[in-house]
Amino acid sequence: MSESAQHLVMWLIPGAPLVAAIIIALAGKGLLKERSHWPCWIGLALSAACALCMWKTIVPAGFDSHSPAVATGYEFLNIGTMQVPIALRADAISALMLTMVTTVSFLVSIFAAGYMHHDPGYPRFFMAFSLFVFSMCMLVLSGNFLQLFIFWEAVGLCSYLLIGFWFKKPSAAAAAKKAFVVNRIGDFGLIIGMFLIWTTFGSLNFDDVLLNGAKIQELATTSPGTITLICSMLFLGAMGKSAQFPLHVWLPDAMEGPTPVSALIHAATMVTAGVYLVARCTPLFMYAPEVQVTISVIGAITALLAALIGLTQFDLKRVLAYSTVSQLGYMFMALGAGAAGEDLMTTAVTAGMFHLFTHGFFKALLFLSAGSVMHSMGDVIDMRRFSGLRKVIPITHFAFLCGALALAGFPLISGFWSKDEILSVLNKASAHTIYGKYFAAVFWVACGTAFITVFYTFRAYFLTFWGPTKIPAEAGHHPHDASPVMAWPLRILAFASLIIGGAVGFNHAFADYLHHGTGLPHAPHGSFNYSLMALSTVISLAGIALAWFCYVQSPAIPEKTATALAPLYMLSQNKFYIDEILWGILVAPLRGLSHLSFLFDKYFIDKLVDLVGMIPRWISAAPRWLQAGSTPGYALVMWGGLLAYLVLVMGSLR
Amino acid sequence: MLTSIIDHLLADTTRISLPLFYPELVLCATIVLMLLVKIFPAGEKLHSFWLALAGSLLALGLCLWRPGLSQLATLERQELFTGMLVFDGLGVFLRTLLLAFLVLFLVLTKLTHLADREDGQDFFSLVLGATLGMCLMVSANHLMTVFLAIEMASVPSYVLAGLVKGRRRASEAALKYAVYGAGAAGVMLYGISLLAGLLGTAHLPTIGDRLIAGQGAAGPGLDSGVLVALALAAIMVLVGLAFKLSAVPFHFWAPDVFEGATAEVGAFLSVASKAAALGLLIRLVAAAVPNDAPTHLIAVDSVRAQLVASSSVELSTFAPHKFLSIALAVIAAVTCTFGNIAAYVQTNIKRMLAYSTIAHAGYLIMPAAAAAQVGGAGMRDPFAAILIYAAIYLFMNLTAFAIVAFLRNSLGSEEIADYAGLWRRSPWVVVAMVVTLFSLVGIPPLAGFNAKFVALYALVAAGGPWMIALVVVACINTVISLVYYLRVAKVMIIDTPTDEAETSPAVSTAAASYLLVTTLPMIILFLFPQRLFALAQAATASLFG
Repeated sequence: MSESAQHLVMWLIPGAPLVAAIIIALAGKGLLKERSHWPCWIGLALSAACALCMWKTIVPAGFDSHSPAVATGYEFLNIGTMQVPIALRADAISALMLTMVTTVSFLVSIFAAGYMHHDPGYPRFFMAFSLFVFSMCMLVLSGNFLQLFIFWEAVGLCSYLLIGFWFKKPSAAAAAKKAFVVNRIGDFGLIIGMFLIWTTFGSLNFDDVLLNGAKIQELATTSPGTITLICSMLFLGAMGKSAQFPLHVWLPDAMEGPTPVSALIHAATMVTAGVYLVARCTPLFMYAPEVQVTISVIGAITALLAALIGLTQFDLKRVLAYSTVSQLGYMFMALGAGAAGEDLMTTAVTAGMFHLFTHGFFKALLFLSAGSVMHSMGDVIDMRRFSGLRKVIPITHFAFLCGALALAGFPLISGFWSKDEILSVLNKASAHTIYGKYFAAVFWVACGTAFITVFYTFRAYFLTFWGPTKIPAEAGHHPHDASPVMAWPLRILAFASLIIGGAVGFNHAFADYLHHGTGLPHAPHGSFNYSLMALSTVISLAGIALAWFCYVQSPAIPEKTATALAPLYMLSQNKFYIDEILWGILVAPLRGLSHLSFLFDKYFIDKLVDLVGMIPRWISAAPRWLQAGSTPGYALVMWGGLLAYLVLVMGSLR
Repeated sequence: MLTSIIDHLLADTTRISLPLFYPELVLCATIVLMLLVKIFPAGEKLHSFWLALAGSLLALGLCLWRPGLSQLATLERQELFTGMLVFDGLGVFLRTLLLAFLVLFLVLTKLTHLADREDGQDFFSLVLGATLGMCLMVSANHLMTVFLAIEMASVPSYVLAGLVKGRRRASEAALKYAVYGAGAAGVMLYGISLLAGLLGTAHLPTIGDRLIAGQGAAGPGLDSGVLVALALAAIMVLVGLAFKLSAVPFHFWAPDVFEGATAEVGAFLSVASKAAALGLLIRLVAAAVPNDAPTHLIAVDSVRAQLVASSSVELSTFAPHKFLSIALAVIAAVTCTFGNIAAYVQTNIKRMLAYSTIAHAGYLIMPAAAAAQVGGAGMRDPFAAILIYAAIYLFMNLTAFAIVAFLRNSLGSEEIADYAGLWRRSPWVVVAMVVTLFSLVGIPPLAGFNAKFVALYALVAAGGPWMIALVVVACINTVISLVYYLRVAKVMIIDTPTDEAETSPAVSTAAASYLLVTTLPMIILFLFPQRLFALAQAATASLFG
């Protein structure tokens, strides 16, 4: 492929959605109206096609020379020694991520056209949707930290716009604000991390920082503290975006947005940006094993906590939201496992990225199915108000079942392969002499969480689709299944969820491709750990069986258990009171402080500013007097001024 | 002997000088043509505007595609007409800027019907004549051409200022302008004669050589009396330039002239005249400050060694570049501060813009001070900063004055208060004005930010107490300027008009599209500044061989 064609293809990946967003923004309200999805569809289809082309031909072309594919743009900043070009850079990691992002986005956008039908904000939705895909592609295609940060914020902005899409609903507006504010904490870390990288490496380019092995090694021996600090800060950024404990609180609330948004942004794409960032910075994290262990442990805590909360929720979307948080925890558990030796690093990153990849498909599917349930139930999402829907909405039922099986890690289905890789890498890491004990604990937490995951997933499935048929009044008399425009994305995603893990996991195709990612150390060829596979098979079958027993066979059990374990049940039901704790230790004191600041601002600063504002007014009386209009007067001042200059300058020379 | 000299001169003139002088020649020919054509009955019907536009477009084209802007980086420095003028990157850059402005300006006057009356057509001869003078200013290479060019640019400007016949204010403004102009020219001429007399030459590069030689160990050595005289001469030459730049305290003409003259002429004086004066300032600073920094330092050091031995004169006197740097820094700081503070209380938009141009003259002189301080090839960046600022300033001020002119035609007022409620009548004009004002303040994402940034960056890069003080002054001034610029925006958008009835758009479609053309560059140049930066860099490269 010629160079210019390559540049064109790469620029089209983010460019097509951007053009779509601009077209919808300009013509959406007046011209396109109910046809607003067309530019979005076309743009995203083009983007997905280009991403596939990049994955297939452009990026592999650089594998032999270990160089990323680059498409030059223009120079955004050139200040002193700081050059920030806006350019695109893609290697194996970005290519795989983009393939998932663009395909899922395209499918979700098709679904959304059916789901959002008749919404008064129809054009606005597709505008923000396209803008989000543009920002996400730019984020993944960034070649330097600054560009990454700009689009990191841009996806945050789109997320804000879409969570608060129904901004007249107070809960939606509050959720949007919460997501934005909580993410600021993470962004603060990311910014500090960037500053540190800038002062340490003198550059923000990935190639200068991450591929500068000599410098990193030198730094690791001279001042390991710096690297640890940089990595901790970068991870703080990742924690915010990827909703890791204790910054996970925004994600469940983000379900206030339209369901396609939840599927796209808050399950499949944006929230994985943190995982991507950590994977991208592997060469740095390699030299900060303590941070990696922390990542693993935080991932484990998040996964377990979220899974426990997910057990007792009745809002179908919330169950899925907590499951997302929990699965993101899995990805971080895997990423951190690299602490146990350099040869494990690439395997760890592969496991994390692989789970990200498969999770993107099946979680989008689950959310879209939940959206479809919501659509046919007249926007009711409480699982206590409907049941036995498998005959009523068969397409949705089938889609949800595929997603649930994938999430549960049912043998030979997507999630099975990726989750198995994570367990396997954690298992290997347990053998490490220093950090082994941590990873052993993390490994058992992962296994336990896997069981809980299966259980709550199928709890939701059985509650919704089995049992006696019950339909809420809002749904009307004849609830309808997904219309074709919604059904086809469901079918395609269901198919993908079933086979994609096996297709690229069974023959290690994913790992072989990812190995070429720039900056990843060479790793031995992967092999399967059959005893672990057997273990996960047992876990998933046991979980499904237990869920079936509890929610289909004898539905009285859950209630009895709940009353028997009332305190624990309340803890889970109320999300471990994390929101309230954060409120107590962060929000309330900050509110008090901000009120004080407000008073100070109003009665001191404002008065001071008014005073300063008066000064030029007084001073400017002098020029007015000078500029009175008389010619001799002007001349006098001119010569006086000349003399003054002369005296001043000559004086300063002596 | 004589014939060979004549032959040589002829060859020099016809083969080298004239081809590179085509843009100016085209302007000359256009002026003559405009005057001649009126003799014929058929020609009388032809509006001079079309001739002027054709001429300036041709000149601009020649400037762009003859050895010009397109090959700026590889341009070879050539002295024209036995060293009176010079053809180099700086000249080409600024000439292109001036001619491009001329074209935009002519279109503006057509849109505002400034010269539509029967007797109004001499206007174009004056404008072209003044531009011709400015083109010479930016390529002057000899103190003689410096003076002639300044006068050539000034005399038509005096007439332009009083263009509106029968208006008392305009006549008064023109007269004042002419009187002060004459005064400043006199002082400058005196300075020139001093310089030429002391150094025995008026050729700028030779002056530079003599100044270095005067300090060198091998040179004759200049005693302190001569140095004081040189400093005096430099100040006097600077007065002439300061007058054209409207630097304090030679700015008095500016507010009166800008208020008295039409807004279009205000745009011409504030942009073109200033750009030309800046070009000249760059040339003079480059000539006076040694280009080759290392040898210069050695020269100073050896002088220092001699002086320590004799210990008769203080050392610092021997650094003309330091002297120039301080002089320029003081002028810049005072001008900037004065302009901003005086603008604070203005109620007439043209008067406010007049003080705003004074303030911007201050910002524009600042990098020149930095250049004089660093010397050597390090002057490239500060000079490039001036060029970038001047180019961006062109669009900002042209748009501001164009809006004032358009609104004068429809509102019949130039008082800021009368702009109240404009938002409802012509939101797009208000948008253009707000963009311009924000750009003048220097707020991203507008090109004014880049302009101010490169200027201040040059100061920071130069370092030293004087430069840091200048940065502080510039920043404080920026804050002050925010207030009076934004007040205009506030009046346009928030204030309620006294007369609610008027809702028709205030400007025509043609005017609105003109504003679009001049406003867009402020955004484009922010997003894609590289081309301009590269051009400015290439333009200054030729100054240092």
